[in-house]
Amino acid sequence: MYSEEIQKLLDKNGIKVGDQIMLSKGATQLEGELMPKANIGGKDTVIIKMKDGYNVGIKLTSDLKIEKLSSGVANIGSFPKVALKHDKSAPNVTLIYTGGTIGSRVDYETGGVSMLLKPEELLYKVPEIQDIANISVDMLMSVASEDLSYMEWVKIAESVTKAFNNGARGVIITMGTDAMHYTAAALSFMLRNLDGPVVITGAQRSSDRGSSDGFINLVSATRLAAFSDIAEVGICMHEQSSDGRCIFIRGVKARKMHTSRRDAFRPINDKPMAYVDKNGSISYSKGYNKAEAKKPSTLELKTKFDPKVALVKVYPNSDPKIIDFYIREGYNGIIIEGTGLGHAPVSTKHDEFMWLPHIKNALDSGLIVGMTSQCLYGRVHPNVYKNLRLLSNLGVIYCEDMMPEVAQIKLCWLLGNYGKEKAKSMLGSNIAGEIHRRLEFDEFLV
Amino acid sequence: MEANDSEFYKKIGFLCGIEVHQRLATKEKLFCSCSTGMPPLSEKPIASIRRHQRAVAGELGSVDLSAQYEEFKDREFTYNIYGDNTCLVEIDEEPPHELNKEALSLALAFSKSLSMEIIDEFQVMRKSVVDGSDPSAFQRTILIGLNGSITTPEGLKVMVQKLFLEEESSGIESSSENSIVYNTDRLGIPLVEIDTDPYIPTPAAAKSVALAIGMLLRISGGVQRGLGTIRQDVNVSIRGGARAEIKGLQELDLMDKFIMNEITRQMKLLEIKDELKQRNPKIHTPKDITEIFADTSVKIIKTQLAKNGAVAGFRLEGFSGLLGKEVNPDRRLGSEISDYAKAAGVHGIIHSDENLDRYGFSDDEKANISKALGLGKNDAFILIAGQKSQAMKAASLAVGRAEACMEGIPLETRGVANTDLCTTRFLRPLPTGSRMYPETDVKPIGATKEMLDSATANAPDSAKEHGRLKAQLSSAALADSMLLSPRLGLYKRVASSLKIDSSFVANILLQKFTELKRSGFDVDSIPEASVMDVFSQYADGSITKQAVDELLKALSSGKRDVPGLVRELKLERIRGEKLLDLVNSTTKEAKSGQPDEVRRLIMSKYRLNVDGSELNEMLLGEAKT
Repeated sequence: MYSEEIQKLLDKNGIKVGDQIMLSKGATQLEGELMPKANIGGKDTVIIKMKDGYNVGIKLTSDLKIEKLSSGVANIGSFPKVALKHDKSAPNVTLIYTGGTIGSRVDYETGGVSMLLKPEELLYKVPEIQDIANISVDMLMSVASEDLSYMEWVKIAESVTKAFNNGARGVIITMGTDAMHYTAAALSFMLRNLDGPVVITGAQRSSDRGSSDGFINLVSATRLAAFSDIAEVGICMHEQSSDGRCIFIRGVKARKMHTSRRDAFRPINDKPMAYVDKNGSISYSKGYNKAEAKKPSTLELKTKFDPKVALVKVYPNSDPKIIDFYIREGYNGIIIEGTGLGHAPVSTKHDEFMWLPHIKNALDSGLIVGMTSQCLYGRVHPNVYKNLRLLSNLGVIYCEDMMPEVAQIKLCWLLGNYGKEKAKSMLGSNIAGEIHRRLEFDEFLV
Repeated sequence: MEANDSEFYKKIGFLCGIEVHQRLATKEKLFCSCSTGMPPLSEKPIASIRRHQRAVAGELGSVDLSAQYEEFKDREFTYNIYGDNTCLVEIDEEPPHELNKEALSLALAFSKSLSMEIIDEFQVMRKSVVDGSDPSAFQRTILIGLNGSITTPEGLKVMVQKLFLEEESSGIESSSENSIVYNTDRLGIPLVEIDTDPYIPTPAAAKSVALAIGMLLRISGGVQRGLGTIRQDVNVSIRGGARAEIKGLQELDLMDKFIMNEITRQMKLLEIKDELKQRNPKIHTPKDITEIFADTSVKIIKTQLAKNGAVAGFRLEGFSGLLGKEVNPDRRLGSEISDYAKAAGVHGIIHSDENLDRYGFSDDEKANISKALGLGKNDAFILIAGQKSQAMKAASLAVGRAEACMEGIPLETRGVANTDLCTTRFLRPLPTGSRMYPETDVKPIGATKEMLDSATANAPDSAKEHGRLKAQLSSAALADSMLLSPRLGLYKRVASSLKIDSSFVANILLQKFTELKRSGFDVDSIPEASVMDVFSQYADGSITKQAVDELLKALSSGKRDVPGLVRELKLERIRGEKLLDLVNSTTKEAKSGQPDEVRRLIMSKYRLNVDGSELNEMLLGEAKT
């Protein structure tokens, strides 16, 4: 928004954003199009796009004159679209759009990148996915992934179910990447007896730039949804910084491991379920759930969710009283991100850093306490060291090779759908591929 | 055509403007902390990545034509990554950091010396570049100043319309049919672009304006020097013609010849247009005529067919004789059309004004081509061999160019085709404004009073600089040449940082460098840092004046380690006690023991290691005692 003074000046001259204007100040004369003002930079600055495409900012001063040359064609923010095709002979794939960088564009309000794109606009940039599959678009929401709560996850899960019930053989979900792996884990638990691929994809670079990774990610995701026989939820993103293969990572084993690189998503304690080559061919790893094309769909939704489970990280000098806070707040579970094999400070020389009594307090108050490792890679173990034994003897559940955030989501889901007693017994056993009995040598730093 | 015949250029409606691109000598790159110093040629990349790019819509919703065009070419880009010169920012894996303040202050100082109006708030823009030279598919660029001027030494005043601060692109390592390999070491180095208005009156004046701008930039001491650190683009058109932007002229000396050739090209193309008007021309749709060549002995076609390829051909009705018409030295209308076809990845075209027998076409084949394309006697044809989709794509691009002959001259970005002949070739259509959109990862930067004051204080001023040089150097002639020299910045750095005789430094950088260059030593390839090392060895007394020559010779063959070279070439100076010992021992050995003989004996053996005046002093001292 322009400042009041500038707006006044514009109104006085009957000028709107998009009009061709002549701006003069001292000896300077500039001709061009009046741009909307983003909420960054000086508020008292008029932004004009010159004929050569450059934007420049001119400060409001008493000698600034603005003259309207002609009315603008209101095309700022408009975007070319593609007609949606319906090729009935191609595999049916539903694309559920939820927001994120993959559908982002410049926002003049914040000056940043916003998520306003219509699916027809998204497909305009990647028209070839309509040649791969018969795509129906479900414009579900436009929310940044870090702003998604379990209530949106439920909506997404319901949309996936609807899509399969309507005859889709696979589903693509486009979303923001920040919290993508949380959504992937939640959907992995919520969608029971899945019988087709649910492929979550996005972009690390906004698609308003020609170098966006989103194009290839979306094409690869479409191939997986249209042709793979994987009946699991997974994330499909770049394998490397190069635009080569994409990897399909199991939803409960995927993690964003870099703030900005294209190949940020990595499998943790796992290998990718599949690889999609640039030329479209899909190669598979062993050990995934195969789709059997059952009719009618066997998909069962279990979407109840108890958000009262905390994720707590221990670290040197950490204050264990945080546990008491969660007990007071009526939490039903705590997942601890321990050190190494699953440690918390329990034999310290200083009482104020001793976690043991507080954890005991939580367990005595009926909370479920799970132990994971901030190492992320590897399995926690209840017996190797004395400190571990102290914790496991109390009744802390060791969560095997589950990532901390997956354990947290799993416990929320278990508490919601099965109640406390069952949840306690189910936390440590595998439901959706989140626990592997064997960790293979080549599953580290993949 | 004469380069300075202003009457002639007025008559033909000559319009000409130049763009000077100059790399800045900042410590870090424009939007990250990578080094701006180029790694030695011997340094291998630490990794390479491969990427694809697409045209995307700009801020105003339309996809830029030239960007779309490059995408058409369907290329894969490889980017070489260098240890100190590439981080995640260059390869589009991390958002840009803050704008480099050192670069901004240099750009502001240049704007001030060109008497420009400085923008109140700088908006960082993304300029779409889909030739792959930037892994992000755009170049960041900022308009800094407007409406200035520069006066050449001949007294010609030319308006300088705009000054931009932007990122350098990647350098091409190699390119083949469907892939280009780029080096990212130079990507993101700060660059200023200075654009004049299009009213430079003659090709000779264009060259002189480019020289004047180059000199002003060098005086600041804030710019890089050496091959590729400055380059000029020229925009040329004549009445009835169209603007052609000739990119990347590095040899300033040839600028006027390139401009004159562009004028000739446009004149010839206008003649062709006029001729076509008489002929009722028409370009027909390309056909797949592969079957004619089943048993061909035309090598170009045979190799493609062996790879399952195809031949596309089309009829140019009324074009007989025109494809072979020369538009520039060694370039015909056919070459102009061929440039377009090549963009689809084919090797070129075959057209009817070429010597078909030399290709190996049989009479049957010629007759069949004529039949298949329905040729009349006033017609011409074009054939393109390649993979089928490629050949058809190339044919449709060639048709587009051929059709443009009837309209006049297409707006083009052109590159150097042949440096010796000073000819150019089509690279891509001229870009339009829709290739620009805002860089959302960097906030706009307001020009503060402090910035502007410091710009005024630091603005390079050629008159003042000349005065300073005259005061420092022993002769006015030396000051004149130093002012124009590309090594002015280096001279200033040496003179200001080392305790050393300024005239000696100037003489080495001017006369000695020219002399060595004439004798075949590639002194231009020596990095400034190495020249600096040589002078610093001299300044602290570690080597003699004579050794400076030897070191420069050694450095011009690609060696870099100056202290190492001093040892390797045994150039350590013998002085003080050691020299005294040498004098004493030589005196004993000498027949006469007279200073003259001792001097001769020592200098014949240690010419590079002994400073003549120190030896003289010592000998005189010896003689006295």
